[in-house]
Amino acid sequence: MRDLDNFKTRLKIAEKKLKKRSKNHDNTENSSFMGGAFKLGTELVSAVAVGTIIGFILDSWFDTKPWLLIFFFFLGSIAGILNVIKAANKMQKRN
Amino acid sequence: MATNPMQQFEVYRIGPQIKIAGVDLSFTNASLFMVLSAVAICAVLFLGTKEKKLIPDKFQLISEILYNFIAKMISDTAGSKAKPYFPFIFSLFMFVLFCNMFGMLPYSFTVTSHIIVTMLLAIFIFIAVTIIGFLKHGFGYLKLFVPSGVPVILLPLITVIEIISYLSRPLSLSVRLFANMLAGHTMLKVFGGFVVSLGILGGWLPLGFSVALTGLEILVAFLQAYVFAILTCIYLNDALNLHH
Repeated sequence: MRDLDNFKTRLKIAEKKLKKRSKNHDNTENSSFMGGAFKLGTELVSAVAVGTIIGFILDSWFDTKPWLLIFFFFLGSIAGILNVIKAANKMQKRN
Repeated sequence: MATNPMQQFEVYRIGPQIKIAGVDLSFTNASLFMVLSAVAICAVLFLGTKEKKLIPDKFQLISEILYNFIAKMISDTAGSKAKPYFPFIFSLFMFVLFCNMFGMLPYSFTVTSHIIVTMLLAIFIFIAVTIIGFLKHGFGYLKLFVPSGVPVILLPLITVIEIISYLSRPLSLSVRLFANMLAGHTMLKVFGGFVVSLGILGGWLPLGFSVALTGLEILVAFLQAYVFAILTCIYLNDALNLHH
């Protein structure tokens, strides 16, 4: 019985410590920074690629080569820049 | 001795050729390493949860840390509504992590350095998240593509841009993991080749680089698994808590 009481007090102390730590920032923060850095680059490129692919497909549907491809390339670039801005905003908010 | 740095990515058949309905389903080295990582995950978690000790041993400690890590990540990024999806994200993280880490062993094969594997994972996540979004919000999920406070003239353009950015998710998710693993492993082998070709006189510098790069690659292997899982959480968050 004493053992159990002892354990309960220790558990309480540990919980308090955990709460304190989660109020301050924890050690996963560093890795999420680097994760964010890796994220931004591909975010830009992939939107451009998707836009261009959509343009290419629509071009072969409507037989309007190459105008839709060019148009959607620019739309994709805009989407990519927006993606990066959104991701950066999210990263700033988290801190 | 393999001198071609790209040779490590070659997929070859192990055992007999199996063809079902014209589709080649033979067991390859890629399948072997997927099975190996799945078995390793099961072994670690089984050993870790076999005896529930108050003072954990090594395996229990590893599994508890992994559990807490993912549980905290999900509740931080996607909130409490995402709790039911914990098993999926946990398995996803463990699979990518173990595939990456198995790739760090010499003479092994890196499953995640092939775009077909990462693309399949990403497309599955993309479709699943889209279905979850529609199930939770109905057609209200389409509001994701129509940001509020945009002038009516610009609305069609913005909607198309938002759709492109939504469709780019699986691509960016898969290309990031694939490109990091491919580039890192190629670089390791290129520097390894330098060590051999420069010989005992000049080979020490690339050898040092190789050691440093191996450390970096282990970091990248963990980090990419983490990024893959956290982005899944972020997409899930968009689908569960719609606020645009």
